[in-house]
Amino acid sequence: MVSTFAYKPGDHEAEKASNGYLMSLIAVIAGLPLPIINLIATFIFYLGNRKGTYFVRWHCTQALLSQFSLLAMNSVGFWWTVSIVFKDVEISNQYISYMITVFLFNLIEFIATIYTAIQTRKGIHISWWFYGDLTNAIVRK
Amino acid sequence: MEKLFLKLFIIVAIFFATLWCLRQVDWMTLFNVKKISQSTEEKLGELYWDIYRKMEHETEDKKITVPIDSLLTRICMKNEIDRAKVKLHIIRKDDINAFALPDHHLVLFTGLIEDCENEAELCGVIAHEMAHMENGHIMKKLIKEVGLSILISMTSGNASQDIAQNAIKVLSSTAYDRNLESDADITGADYLMKADIDPEAFAGFLYRMSSREKDYPKQLFWISTHPGSEERTKAIINYISDKNYQKKMVLDSTQWAQLLLSVKED
Repeated sequence: MVSTFAYKPGDHEAEKASNGYLMSLIAVIAGLPLPIINLIATFIFYLGNRKGTYFVRWHCTQALLSQFSLLAMNSVGFWWTVSIVFKDVEISNQYISYMITVFLFNLIEFIATIYTAIQTRKGIHISWWFYGDLTNAIVRK
Repeated sequence: MEKLFLKLFIIVAIFFATLWCLRQVDWMTLFNVKKISQSTEEKLGELYWDIYRKMEHETEDKKITVPIDSLLTRICMKNEIDRAKVKLHIIRKDDINAFALPDHHLVLFTGLIEDCENEAELCGVIAHEMAHMENGHIMKKLIKEVGLSILISMTSGNASQDIAQNAIKVLSSTAYDRNLESDADITGADYLMKADIDPEAFAGFLYRMSSREKDYPKQLFWISTHPGSEERTKAIINYISDKNYQKKMVLDSTQWAQLLLSVKED
């Protein structure tokens, strides 16, 4: 959802905010086998920019929050897979259904992240459904 | 804040609704999951047996193979296991050992046959190995010890002979997981009872082996790969104590004596 931000961000701010999403994007790729990597990478970037301008902080927080739900979903998928490979758990319809669901949610997040990174780079403010509201409640001007 | 929780609830609901919808599809059939794992097992079984038979000497002596085949057939038939899929191999070797390779290759050593006091003991070992096969323990052990990626590379012929030999060594001379052993003991006991063979004899065999372990540790491969025999003996005895089963011989005393004689002649 495109919405108006409190002020018009400068080019430098737009670049940093956009990098927040790119960071989480790279982390999603790198973190596919170990979902915690996503969160750690985005969190480090968030820490680095927590004293940045409002626009930068806002978008870094939105990127970080979106990683939490992925972490939960992907962790379950990861440990389920580990149990199948190394323990007595067998592949089942439940497992395949869960992995497809997780894949679909990761894909939606992935596309949304790319789109938001591009728009943010142009200085356009994108507020995600639910995550945008949550970010508004957390980040102070 | 209420709006925020409502949105969170909607996201969670969408997640579970997607999961529920996808759950309605039979993915296992759609992706041929069982067929794929079966063909991997077949390729590995063929590959391992090809290597193993070059390392050892398999006996084709009918005086040995026919009676053992009768024992195996009784266990298979009474437990609705397809006898044709089990490939029985008797190896001429003094070591007391028996193991299963992927794709239902059952390997018995003449040393083990010679050491059994009666056919029920030998049937016990066969039933135990059959339980490992039927419950999918062999592939589980291989995946755990050798690794899935190496196994897949073996099926496509990309792994070296050394790696394959190492996998055979894992199956023939290292222990299964305790839980898998207990599972095979109980399933094996069930197979024996259904086949009207005394499972107590197998428990007795385990106990006898464990008591001799200290004296002949090197020859008793089967017992060193099946640890905790005393506890397992007790578990089998407890399991069968309240069960009703019959004891019918497969071979008569002459046939059993002839089998032992043929094994010793080797």
